[in-house]
Amino acid sequence: MTQKTKNIAVILTAALWIFGLSLWGIFAPDAETSLSERRRLAQAPKLTAENLVSGKFMSDFEKYSADQFPLRDGFRRIKAYAEYYGFWQLDSNGIYFKDGYASKLEYPLNEAALTNVSNKINYIYDEYIKDGGGKVFLSVIPDKNCFLAPDAGYPCLDSEKMVNTLRESVPFAEYIDIFPTLDISDYYTTDTHWRQEKIIDTARTLAEAMGAEIGGEYTEKALDAPFYGVYSGQSALPLKGESLIYLESPAINGMTAYNFETDAYGGVYDFDAASGTDPYEIFLSGPRSLMTVENPAAKDKGELIIFRDSFGSSIAPLLAEGYSKVTLVDIRYLASARLGQFVDFDGADVLFLYSTLVLNNGEVMQ
Amino acid sequence: MVFSSIPFLYWFLPTVIAVYFIVPRALKNAVLLVFSLGFYAWGEPRFAVFMIAAIVQGYVFGLLIEKYREKKRLKALFTGLSCAVSIGLLVYCKYADFFIKNFNAVTGLSLPLLGIVLPIGISFYTFQILSYTIDVSRGNAAAQKNPITLGAYVAMFPQLIAGPIVRYTDIAAQLDRRSHSVEKIALGTRRFVIGLAKKVLIANQLAELINAFKASGDKSVLFVWVYAIAYSVHIYFDFSGYSDMAIGLGKIFGFDFPENFNYPFISKSGTEFWRRWHMTLGSWFRDYVYIPMGGNRVSKPRWLLNILTVWFLTGFWHGADWTFILWGLFFAALLVAEKLWYLKYLEKSKFLAHIYKILFVTVSFTLFDAPSVGEAFKSIGSLFGLGGLPLVSGEAVYFLRSYAVLLIIGIIGSTPLPKRIVEKISQGGAGKKIMMIAEPAALLLMLAVSTGYLADGSFNPFLYFRF
Repeated sequence: MTQKTKNIAVILTAALWIFGLSLWGIFAPDAETSLSERRRLAQAPKLTAENLVSGKFMSDFEKYSADQFPLRDGFRRIKAYAEYYGFWQLDSNGIYFKDGYASKLEYPLNEAALTNVSNKINYIYDEYIKDGGGKVFLSVIPDKNCFLAPDAGYPCLDSEKMVNTLRESVPFAEYIDIFPTLDISDYYTTDTHWRQEKIIDTARTLAEAMGAEIGGEYTEKALDAPFYGVYSGQSALPLKGESLIYLESPAINGMTAYNFETDAYGGVYDFDAASGTDPYEIFLSGPRSLMTVENPAAKDKGELIIFRDSFGSSIAPLLAEGYSKVTLVDIRYLASARLGQFVDFDGADVLFLYSTLVLNNGEVMQ
Repeated sequence: MVFSSIPFLYWFLPTVIAVYFIVPRALKNAVLLVFSLGFYAWGEPRFAVFMIAAIVQGYVFGLLIEKYREKKRLKALFTGLSCAVSIGLLVYCKYADFFIKNFNAVTGLSLPLLGIVLPIGISFYTFQILSYTIDVSRGNAAAQKNPITLGAYVAMFPQLIAGPIVRYTDIAAQLDRRSHSVEKIALGTRRFVIGLAKKVLIANQLAELINAFKASGDKSVLFVWVYAIAYSVHIYFDFSGYSDMAIGLGKIFGFDFPENFNYPFISKSGTEFWRRWHMTLGSWFRDYVYIPMGGNRVSKPRWLLNILTVWFLTGFWHGADWTFILWGLFFAALLVAEKLWYLKYLEKSKFLAHIYKILFVTVSFTLFDAPSVGEAFKSIGSLFGLGGLPLVSGEAVYFLRSYAVLLIIGIIGSTPLPKRIVEKISQGGAGKKIMMIAEPAALLLMLAVSTGYLADGSFNPFLYFRF
């Protein structure tokens, strides 16, 4: 080969790459969603004079062209490999791996977010609970970073400070410490959430502290398809699928869940959602603003209202064994000021159960 | 539009290349002009008007200056008018609020700010038009009769936004007639891809480290040093990567743009650093400000004034803020001190000279990046343990560990070592054969990985846009 041949090779290589991907991108049909990232992809922007002059067309087109780029997942994977194995970076897009677990960096402690959460809890207490006669409980769920980060030198938020700050700001709530009931093996390796079959002790601790009694005999059932958690897609690496297990018992099987958003009744496990983009939504259909679970087998006729995030969806069926009715409220999607229209607080116990992840991003609480 | 983006790489670039090489020679400048205006309007549709106005005034005054070349007063008048329009536009867009703010601060008044958004690349194309009309006035260049050709020169997208500052005389002949060869296109392709990788894989990633430092509530002396070093490497890779892409694209379209960087971090003095850093800006100020003021062939006080003027302007060119002015004057002081007192000593010890230069350049970029003069002194003080910060913090250790390889690659990549290694390998028979395969493969790898970063929508600002 001569220098000229090498020059031709350089030009052809670059031209084939650039022109090839360009034509592929232009002619390939656009995708609606990204399964790996669990989000809708940007679509081609409308070309109007107004959009052009304002520059909106251009900014939308930039998002569109990146979102609809051919083999995008493959390219994201190349990037992840470059970061982890080429540049030896300790995280990629904030996701890191330790002891076989994927986790996402969450730091520093966001005091403004925490203040918003405590303001909301105080508002809810003053507005709905104070005169209702029920007891109020608070519990905080540690996220995976609490177990993985400190020893491995990854930055993480000060969960102890977070809990203390929150406890001090809601003195009317009795705090239930569930940290000792959990360790890293209680969580999915590829997902942010805990495993339902590993939190029976946690549920029991909560129930006992609230004066409820729950059963202890469950049958483990697994979804047929392997479960790839949220970090599988976000990390863009080929992580090994896991088995998503849910618990059955006569009481759980007899429970009825009502979804206020869809005005539909069903069981506590949503098998349609289990085959969707996020199989963890099997638990009470995932992030929903308002749900109720009725347990006809309950010995106690008490009611419990849980203010929760997605961690609460998987523990709620276990806690519901001790109550005739459990109401699950997610104030990320339902404004606190509107709660009175939908929820009867009279005589019900209330549990504020949030993960450190959601608390640290608590600006989203309405 | 930025070079390191999907719309540029996979939509704009293939289109402009295809059209450019399909049309006959006579239309190539028109194609470049049309695509360049589209490229500019993509980012700032409104400000394309500023650019067209700048081109028109440069064209008209260029012709007038040439027509009245023999009539000194008229020539000076038209040259002065052209410069006034160019500089006036730049001052209005870039410096008006700075002057109002300082006027308000001095007088206690509260004149409202104009809130003008800086047109992208205005500092670069203003200097190009200035050099054109001044060179026509000096008789160094003939006025361009074809407005499309002059428009293609000013608006040419490869160097439009962040340089290098290409003077008209650099490419006047190529604007009229230029050759396209396999060798030149291959050279341009290599240079472009290397520049892209420098920008996307190194500069953008270090920008994330810099942002993490700025957002951190866990700062320490170590973290400030990690930031300062990362920022120095980042700004070099960001700016030189862009220049590489510009020079490479220029070659693909048949132009030879001037070099803008020559491994500035291997310099042994501030004087040498500025001979290697942003060379087209340095030589512009030398030829159009410093030498006309008398350069160094004047009395010492006058020479000091010349130096201060040039470095004040160099700093001010970078931004309408006292931090940039201080940054320029910092180099003025350094260069004067070197020339008057200790440059000869520096030249005796390469090692100490490097340490000296690296220290001062790192400090200078800390000043350059500071949001205010107060913050600049705080950051510089923190470098030397004066900020009351702990020596080490958890985040500092984490980010140092996470970015160590990138920093090492960046530091080594800012020296001629990689180039020398490639040249050495290419000399031997076997090495030559390996490079025949390895070079296209390496370029492909750089393209693929850079595309991966862009498709994932990673952090991607161009630092020199604001200039």
